[in-house]
Amino acid sequence: MKQFQYLRAATQQSTLDAISKPGTKIIAGGTNLIDLMKRGVTAPDKLVDITHLPLKNITPTKSGLHIGALALNSTVSENGIVVQKFPLLSMALKAGASPQLRNMATVGGNMMQRTRCSYFYDTTMPCNKREPGTGCGAMGGLNRMHAIFGTRDKCIAVHPSDMCVGLAALDATVIIAGKKGERRIPFTEFHRLPGEHPDVDNTLAKDEMIIGVDIPDNNFAKNSYYLKVRDRQSYAFALVSVAAGLDISNGTIRQARLAMGGVAHKPWRLFEAEKFLVGKAVSEDSFKQAAQIAMQGAKAYEYNAFKLKLAPATITEALKHASGLV
Amino acid sequence: MSTINKSMTDNKKQPSSSDGPSRVDGRLKVTGAAKYSAEFAVKGLVYGVLVGSTITKGKIKSIDIKKAEHAPGVLAVITHFNSPKVPGYQVATDPGKPAVKGPVKVFNDDQILYNGQPVALVIADTFERALFAASLVNAQYIAEKHITNLKDNLGKAVATHDDTEYKRGIVDAYKSAPIIVEQEYMLPSEVHNPMELHALIARWDAADKITVWDKTQGVKDTQSNIAKLFHIPVENVQVHSKFVGGAFGSALQVWPHEVAAIIGAKVVKRPVKLVLGRADMFTSVGYRPLTWQKIGIGATAEGRLVGITHHAVGQTSTYEDFAEGPTDISRSLYACPNVNSSNKILGLDVGSPTWMRGPGDATGAFALESALDELSYKLNIDPIELRLKNYAETDPESGKPFSGKNLKDAYKLGAEGIGWKNRKQEAGSVTRDGWLLGYGMSGGVFGADREPATVKATMLADGTLVLQTAVSDIGPGTGTAMVAIASETMGIPAHQIRFDLGDSLYPNAPQQGGSTITSSVGSAVYMACRDLKEKFQQLIGNGGEDKPNYAKILKQHNLTQLQVVTDSKAGAEVDKYAMYSWSVHFVSVLVNPATGVVKLNKVVCVADSGRIISPKTARSQVIGGAVMGIGMALMEEAIFDDRYGRLINNNLADYHVPVSADIPQIEAIFVNKPDININPIGAKGMGEIALIGMAAAVANAVYNATGKRIRNLPITPDKLVDWTALT
Amino acid sequence: MENKNAHSKPESELEEKDNSRRNFLKQSAFITAVALTPAPAVKAAAMHLDEKIAEAFEKVPVKLEVNGVMHNLSVEPRATLLDILREQIDLTGTKKGCDHGQCGACTVHVDGHRVNSCLTLGVMASGKKITTIEGLAKGEELHPMQEAFLKHDGFQCGYCTPGQIMSAVACIREGHANSETEIREYMSGNICRCGAYPNIVNAIQEVKSGGQIV
Repeated sequence: MKQFQYLRAATQQSTLDAISKPGTKIIAGGTNLIDLMKRGVTAPDKLVDITHLPLKNITPTKSGLHIGALALNSTVSENGIVVQKFPLLSMALKAGASPQLRNMATVGGNMMQRTRCSYFYDTTMPCNKREPGTGCGAMGGLNRMHAIFGTRDKCIAVHPSDMCVGLAALDATVIIAGKKGERRIPFTEFHRLPGEHPDVDNTLAKDEMIIGVDIPDNNFAKNSYYLKVRDRQSYAFALVSVAAGLDISNGTIRQARLAMGGVAHKPWRLFEAEKFLVGKAVSEDSFKQAAQIAMQGAKAYEYNAFKLKLAPATITEALKHASGLV
Repeated sequence: MSTINKSMTDNKKQPSSSDGPSRVDGRLKVTGAAKYSAEFAVKGLVYGVLVGSTITKGKIKSIDIKKAEHAPGVLAVITHFNSPKVPGYQVATDPGKPAVKGPVKVFNDDQILYNGQPVALVIADTFERALFAASLVNAQYIAEKHITNLKDNLGKAVATHDDTEYKRGIVDAYKSAPIIVEQEYMLPSEVHNPMELHALIARWDAADKITVWDKTQGVKDTQSNIAKLFHIPVENVQVHSKFVGGAFGSALQVWPHEVAAIIGAKVVKRPVKLVLGRADMFTSVGYRPLTWQKIGIGATAEGRLVGITHHAVGQTSTYEDFAEGPTDISRSLYACPNVNSSNKILGLDVGSPTWMRGPGDATGAFALESALDELSYKLNIDPIELRLKNYAETDPESGKPFSGKNLKDAYKLGAEGIGWKNRKQEAGSVTRDGWLLGYGMSGGVFGADREPATVKATMLADGTLVLQTAVSDIGPGTGTAMVAIASETMGIPAHQIRFDLGDSLYPNAPQQGGSTITSSVGSAVYMACRDLKEKFQQLIGNGGEDKPNYAKILKQHNLTQLQVVTDSKAGAEVDKYAMYSWSVHFVSVLVNPATGVVKLNKVVCVADSGRIISPKTARSQVIGGAVMGIGMALMEEAIFDDRYGRLINNNLADYHVPVSADIPQIEAIFVNKPDININPIGAKGMGEIALIGMAAAVANAVYNATGKRIRNLPITPDKLVDWTALT
Repeated sequence: MENKNAHSKPESELEEKDNSRRNFLKQSAFITAVALTPAPAVKAAAMHLDEKIAEAFEKVPVKLEVNGVMHNLSVEPRATLLDILREQIDLTGTKKGCDHGQCGACTVHVDGHRVNSCLTLGVMASGKKITTIEGLAKGEELHPMQEAFLKHDGFQCGYCTPGQIMSAVACIREGHANSETEIREYMSGNICRCGAYPNIVNAIQEVKSGGQIV
């Protein structure tokens, strides 16, 4: 690992000042950044430690819940309000990483984590995300873990987070601070598809920082489920994961929220399938139909064709769990 | 041959995790006081970090080390351009003949034989600085076309050893049988991945004298190999390996990184610590070779085996001919009149494979026991019944009697343990809470060898017995078992006995590998104790008590200590008997019909390995083997991107080994009948049999649950989902 | 290994004393109340000894309270807590198994919470209380979890054991040891290649049901 200058930020403003300089990165939990630095994927000149900023709060708001960017994954997953009102988020968080890592990782850091694509991580391999213009190792390579939605030939990597799949389903808003003040964007617009610039993971500008997320109140608490399918029972990234929230009244679905992980460059919200489910009776059949709708536009590569079957199966199973059918 | 008796012979009472004495070195392990190789605070220590090649085959054109040399704290950057030559590498080759095959000669020449091969060693005053400077080394290569794919090149496989081909009776007799199974199997390359990274500290004490603290399964072998490589007298090489954080076969030889550290220490004239990174653990200390197998098996309608044909092609490197011998198991596991088999290898541009727990037989058992299971369904005969119909009462290969075999007891105990009677013969017919439930079983076998070993036993004035031998303990609890043997033989409590190991200064012991230690060193300990006791009896004259007060006798005779050095080795029994340990694994699995996720529901493992010396550690060994077998069945696979000849999952996030959530309670059952013909203590090895057969048991259970037969491991959800939901 | 010279000084004080500092020092002024500029670097800068500045600048003062003992260290910011424990203060009980947060062998408690010390920068742990396996027993008296691991043989080779025990203690403290299934899930961040998982679960259950304060 290259030597770097370590700076401890005392205020949000000084952080914003510091990160406007090239070669400077924010560090919080460090669970992904230190790993990337150890592998030489990234080599910042300066690290700004923001863990002493007052951004750890989890506070009820008039219309929902605010979670500070520095709230730990473990803290959020165990928080009473989260467990009671947003169990989907709690479940998604607990499906990710390990207890130790969740004790270090923050909400903001989780959103900023980079793909786990092997070609991105190995600096001897081509990767347009790590080094634009070098090509995509996963295209024509071993792409079992890769995307089936929203891909371009330049990059077929997936976003690795579970928490983000939960937040995407829950209509969360990201609160971003910049030199000009704060801005708020829908969670689903925070991460981006690779397009022509797979090196850019999200819409956060270089001189901006995440300060928190807001989650609006909803009626999904009773019927929520996060289902993660992986190669081992814990401590593994998703082959496919599904966050499902249903608002059910007298056996009829009034509203639905669905998002998928392990299938795209960003948490993949299933808007069309959600729409389809509104007004439908709770039944395995309607869930299977919704799953088919969700799969429209999916495209497989040499080693990930199984996701075309696993993804709809997982959606159906998640909905069955959420609705209480199983 | 006399034997010693012990409790623990009651089949019905099987040990739980808390039964029996705890490990003699357990306190050191739970307090963090146990020192592994890289953990000795040697004075003046500096740090070495290796740089690996980024091409797979070719030559080194140049290596720019200037930047690295000028980085803060760097003491030396060693490459083949500036390395002192290792004398043992400089073998005169006959220009008319092909080069002699052998391990990679580190920093000896410009040849690149596999991706990740060490091309430079950077030594600096701190680990961080060495690691960073290593990233500044810039090697340029002339790349050549490489081949790392086994399956596309099976036709190029060659026979190497004289033991390659085997024939008994009629070749391919299975083809004439009324019921036939003929299938191919792929076992991916698996990596030992002990939790402790391979590491050593090398210190030159004089121009021809060296001390190493090294992770090794055999201090004596490491000692003699280093002596040979550096042309120094064996007695001038000291090897310490007090604690070994697992190895499973990866520390049975001297690898290039060990030689590199020793070279480095010579160059900088200071002790060098070198700890491999986890990525290097995948390429530079061996692995279980990727193996293709084909089995043909034929039986009469009543289930009598007519013939077995078993062929295998295993991957090796271009520079070493390593063959596991996966088809050997088909020669002797069942009574079958006609067996023919072959073991071939294919040299690829990869680092050399090596022995990994249950070598050969674990690979072969997966194919053979999967095929037998498949046959049982074709015959509509219970898999256990099929095995009993073809039970070998004498060794089918040699015709010799077995030294001891109680496999029928093992089948019975395991079937009871798992609740085999609840199994339905029809596959895919049982569901529980929406999951498919299935049962599977499989057997395992491994040769029970006994190697020469010497033990020095010393009774001290205070009544402490000190036993010394140069064995390593990679985890099974060797010290604990040895103390148990000595305690019983001498009639003194365990806490009065000290077992010293892991030092080349001690008398000879074999490497800890191949499930030989309890039989070899255990027998030596028993015999040394018996000799020592006899010496005491000579002192006090005949008619001494069975449990004499040794301290008192020493005092009476004005002695400070009494010592014996006893050699022990196998005798004529080797020619008389066929010697094996056996295991049977039973599992029940739950398979999610929608997602293809497989969960272990229950696991029962039975070992028929003679007398059980230390119930607590024996049980742990059986459980540990089962866990590794579950990993083999469900998740382990080292994956090469053949375009680059480079692994894409050389880390513990992408190469999955089981975690706690994957593993249910595992019941370990011991037949626990002493093998009175094999050695004086009646005990045989169980490290290998604990794993061998486990993967087939899981695969067979998955078939019973789903009707889907997976013949290419691991059984990941993608392989099952293709057939499950929405198809 | 203590470095008594490496005291931290307030930024403002440095500003006054020396105006000839190089850019890298000035940049830190953007961060209000940054208090981690190494004194030797400033001294060297004043003497115009560029090389020494570079070298001294690589180290920062760090105060680590490990197992109740205060260590005043001077470390490079890139040094992980794991390497500092093992290489600088000779607490080798904490193990390096992967160095990338993928195995849990390096698990320690920081301010009472279990974390992977291989992904923790030592400089970021400054001022925090760290407990390693060496700090669990009270003198000769083992911690109940250590006793339970011994009794149930919760290990073979012993290399992952310190991490497992630190994690197991935290697992109970966190309230995640209420069933076998829950223990398995919450112990899945600690890989044991020897496969002692069932015994580890038994050990944790015994301590949990014993009701001892862990």
